Amino acid sequence: MTVVSSRLLGETAVVTGGASGLGEAIAARFASEGARVVVADVDETGARRVADDLVADGAAAEAATVDVTREEEVARLFEGVAKEHGGLDALVCSAAVEVRAPLVETTDEDWQRILDVNLKGPFLCLKHGIPLMTGNGGGSCVLMGSTLGSIGSPNYAAYCASKGALVNLAKQAAIEHALDGVRVNVVSPTATEAGLFLKMAEASGDPEGIKRFVAERTPMGRLGRVDDVTEAALYLASDASSYVSGTVIPLDGGLAARRMGP
Amino acid sequence: MPDDRLLEGKVALITGAASGQGRAASVRFAEHGAQIAVVDMNDNGAAETVGLVEQAGSKAVAIHADVSRRADVDAMVAATVEAFSQLDVLYNNAALQMSGRLVDTTEEEWDITIATNLSAIFWACRAAMPHLLDGGGSIINTASVLGLIGSEGYAAYGAAKAGLVALTRQIATEHGPAVRANVIAPGSIDTPRFRKVVAEMPDGDDFLNGLLGNIPLHRLGTADDVSGIALFLASDLSAYTSGAVIPADGGLAALR
Repeated sequence: MTVVSSRLLGETAVVTGGASGLGEAIAARFASEGARVVVADVDETGARRVADDLVADGAAAEAATVDVTREEEVARLFEGVAKEHGGLDALVCSAAVEVRAPLVETTDEDWQRILDVNLKGPFLCLKHGIPLMTGNGGGSCVLMGSTLGSIGSPNYAAYCASKGALVNLAKQAAIEHALDGVRVNVVSPTATEAGLFLKMAEASGDPEGIKRFVAERTPMGRLGRVDDVTEAALYLASDASSYVSGTVIPLDGGLAARRMGP
Repeated sequence: MPDDRLLEGKVALITGAASGQGRAASVRFAEHGAQIAVVDMNDNGAAETVGLVEQAGSKAVAIHADVSRRADVDAMVAATVEAFSQLDVLYNNAALQMSGRLVDTTEEEWDITIATNLSAIFWACRAAMPHLLDGGGSIINTASVLGLIGSEGYAAYGAAKAGLVALTRQIATEHGPAVRANVIAPGSIDTPRFRKVVAEMPDGDDFLNGLLGNIPLHRLGTADDVSGIALFLASDLSAYTSGAVIPADGGLAALR
């Protein structure tokens, strides 16, 4: 990991879900732009591995263990960031879970777990992260949405609800903190060659078949790439997007063009 | 021959039916022939609504439920089916009003807002689905304009209502063709609670005038503005409408 340019030079970034998938890729991309990255995850070993790898490559990174569904842990994470780094410039909420099940077979436990990780987690991170930005000249928050926040899809009742709600939470926070210089936006990937989609495909009997099926339904004829997501997150975290707040950027190969609305 | 009795032979479960929009819908549905399960935490208000339904020439039962409690939600569906042997329309109207800026919202406020305004509807749909699938049914979920736009001071409420919109679309995709699921998104509705909030504002008159100036129809909505949409969505008039969001907002959404 060499610092390739300096779009986030000297900035402090927290990335939740940073131990794997898209969160890990975003953490690495931000580090490559000169950010000090706090790799936060409930997976302590994974977070440490990602942070150690980044440090070994010459970047500035550290690991933090956090269960984003627990307010005391989230508060402690950001207290630590304030103490160590004096403020926060970028927050990426990437931690998420999904369970595929028909609505009538979705258990109470799965429903609550998905809402807690995918929705309450970002709420708590915004609640405790934004004050570190307002006292620090502003900052940018990037939330990991999903195409399934905008459309319905069989077997994703809880996941759709969590991601749909997340968009409105971002709009809300964007308006409330616009005058503080804090921007809040959502990147909304569809099936990407990493993260939850890849896990789902690999757990099925026919990962290549599933990937091909989804790719063929996408106007661009391919799945999302990890870079598609990391570059959008970098754009939203950096000053290049300084007049952009409360928006959703679909990273979906043109899929959104097939439906109404954003 | 006009369709003057749009819900003949239907059974509707309406939550939050002891007052306001839920009561207005109960009476309106009853006038169109539906039998009503009047669900609320407010037993006196629910009993009054039952009386109004009976005056309208139909039958109703009052069912006590706190929809933020999973067991109550299951029980309200079971009690409805026990009383009427069927369930055709599930109208999730009950909601908890909660305001607060994001950084001031406590974990407890967040949890109860999500539980009442989002999880409760998931539970209700899950419990009701076997009955709705039996012969076809309509789910009507009350979201809010605040679930479609961001607005200062409604972090948990706006998120819950937006989640409800997404959940409703998901249900529409999963349970067509037998079940339709749609959203009503009320804007500023003239309720006693709304009047009280305005009266407590230091500049309430200015706020109200500013608000009305921004609403193309230049008035607040009424409970019957909402019940008209609910009647449409409950009945076969909307037989080809599913996954839709219908604002009851005097045209406000057109400005957004």
